[in-house]
Amino acid sequence: MAGLLEQLDGAISGLLTGWNVYTTALAFSIVGFLGWIIYDSADADTHPLLLARQAQASYVRQPRESAVYRAPETPHGYPLRTGLAVRPPGTPMYSAGKDGDLRDIWRRVTGEIPLEKGATSTGTAHIMTVFGKEGVTQHKVDDITMEIAIAGKHLQDRGATRVAIYLPNSLEFLCALFAGAFYGFTPILIPYNQPHLTLVELLVQTGADALIAEAGSVPLAEVSQGASSLRSIIWTVEKTSRHMDWSEVPEGIGGKMDVAVWHELVQEQKSIHATLPSTPAKPPGVVFLWQEAVGKHAETVEFTQQKLTAAVGALITSLPLAHRLNASDTFLPADTFTHSYCLCLTLAALFSHATVIIQSVAGPGVDLTLAARSIAPTVAVVSAETAAKLHSTTKESTTSALQKFAHYVETRMLTAGRLPTDTFLTKLIAPARASIGTTPGKLRLLFVSERQGLNTPPLSSEDLSDLRIYTKARIAYALTTAKVAGAVAQTNIYDYRREEKPSTKHSHFGVPLSCVEIKLKDTPQLETTDEQSMGELVVTGSSVAGGQAFLGVNATIRDDHTLAYA
Amino acid sequence: MADATAIPSTLPAPDPTHAASVFTPINVLLLSLFGILVYFRLRPSAPQTLPRAPPATVFRTFTPPTLFPYNGLNSMPVYLAVRGRVFDVTSGRNFYGPGGPYANFAGRDASRGLACGSFDEDMLTKDLDGPLDTLEDLDAEQMEALRGWEERFDEKYLVVGKLVPVGSPEADETKA
Repeated sequence: MAGLLEQLDGAISGLLTGWNVYTTALAFSIVGFLGWIIYDSADADTHPLLLARQAQASYVRQPRESAVYRAPETPHGYPLRTGLAVRPPGTPMYSAGKDGDLRDIWRRVTGEIPLEKGATSTGTAHIMTVFGKEGVTQHKVDDITMEIAIAGKHLQDRGATRVAIYLPNSLEFLCALFAGAFYGFTPILIPYNQPHLTLVELLVQTGADALIAEAGSVPLAEVSQGASSLRSIIWTVEKTSRHMDWSEVPEGIGGKMDVAVWHELVQEQKSIHATLPSTPAKPPGVVFLWQEAVGKHAETVEFTQQKLTAAVGALITSLPLAHRLNASDTFLPADTFTHSYCLCLTLAALFSHATVIIQSVAGPGVDLTLAARSIAPTVAVVSAETAAKLHSTTKESTTSALQKFAHYVETRMLTAGRLPTDTFLTKLIAPARASIGTTPGKLRLLFVSERQGLNTPPLSSEDLSDLRIYTKARIAYALTTAKVAGAVAQTNIYDYRREEKPSTKHSHFGVPLSCVEIKLKDTPQLETTDEQSMGELVVTGSSVAGGQAFLGVNATIRDDHTLAYA
Repeated sequence: MADATAIPSTLPAPDPTHAASVFTPINVLLLSLFGILVYFRLRPSAPQTLPRAPPATVFRTFTPPTLFPYNGLNSMPVYLAVRGRVFDVTSGRNFYGPGGPYANFAGRDASRGLACGSFDEDMLTKDLDGPLDTLEDLDAEQMEALRGWEERFDEKYLVVGKLVPVGSPEADETKA
């Protein structure tokens, strides 16, 4: 025994006699490496097991259907979210709140209905508009309220019940939308830039009896001939053309068409100090048109106010509490307001007293760098086309091997569950970044919408992960469809996982929103068994037109209970 | 003494292994330790996954003969039927499973027994192929008791099927 210890002692001292300067260097580098590991490691943004099972499945399923899946915030046994839980001032603090409609959203914008306890803001939302390179114009909420009142009263006096809004994203668009809720007419949102023939067809298809359009964008003779139910028109004129007289009617139309000009109406009635009516009557719904591209066939869907507010409420609560829209956010809708996802998110931003920047460079294929060039948005909504374009242009600009290495390092950080931030390493070697906004690094959240059935470009989880590095922002990828207001499903913003070998071109769409529940119905080709859930996607809920919608697309629920195309 | 003999050198002869001292045993040990640490740090880790959730139970249309085997024996789950709805009471196995006080109810229509508050044999329908118990001869108090039991079952247990008599059109549908 003693001999063994002596042998051991001799061996260890023999080992340590070889200590020299290289050994000291190695020892210091090991200690330094361990120190850097301790300094660098941080917790993931969310617990990985929370991402391993996301939606909640029901315990029983009907034969030939899959289980019903819901968002974790509205589990089975509890009612789905039906609205905004608006609490007018004076109601007790912890009461449930009403569903609300667009009028309550505007009352929240003006400050009449205060924010929830604990949220701080200046008292109203802020609305700004950007036109080209002119810079940003701030609009006072009282002035906008007056415009809503004037336009609404004008249309109500003319007896309009279905008013077509054929405008790009603009302040007048939102004014007309809110006027519809206050003055009892149905806004019909027509996507901008249609060929004239298609516009006439859409006006006839939706049965519009009034039209709000940009002066000069619509040939009045053709339209009044084609759409015979049209009775009144309001032109919106941009500042540079206001010297012309737009109120004259070309011959041949006769006296049946009443033409007015927006800014003239506002000018005339400014002194009357119009206020919004407070009728208790239920406001009518809003009509959306779902179209693959301008000039193609359009599907008409009418959503009641309750469906829209359910979608807005669900989109607000789909974000974790720490990252919700709040009064310090600058919100940029870079997709058209005629898409219900973008419109509902804009209403959510207004509801949270954020600063909303409206600009007419907004649409499915717009360039985000161009759209954000004079502002610094913190939250943006884009279409899948814009995101795909951003991804491909930034990817092409990564040329050097150093940039690729930095991109690889940041991808590893994302896989570990953390959003890469600017450290001194990235200042030395920065990966390629997309330049969005005047101040780089302010964008914190990007909403990307996939429009089901309209051949939008697919975004794989690799593309989304690359976009997180290019924009340094969290990304939510949402599945939107015609018959559902807002979205059907939206990914968790903390879900940075990438698939090595994806089975479909699109990434998964995450969990359903808290206002809907989804299930998959068996088709002749796909069926649900104990091992897999596949079939045709069926959505039920408070934001679905008609209560339940069969989307006509094959989908699957993956092992982590997220929705994906089959 | 005057001889100029070479002064014996007192300097040690240069160590022949000095130039290669980077590979002393301790250095090799520390180098391999460093290599192992770097490998573990840079190794890509598989994402954490949970095992797949148990599949959902399929809602079935039962007839009394098909419901009968679900009494907890032969590792079958324990079901019982109340007013046409089949509840999965496997979590209450101590009561309804084999050997429990209410084991008579397992795999049978328990409506009359719950209404009358008795778990005798004569509360269950004898003929499994016959029509279901219509509960017509029960008075209001017993129906009230039955409704109370049904509410408690609704809160505690999962509805996994419905019970129809043999020969009814729905029963034939499931056979097809």
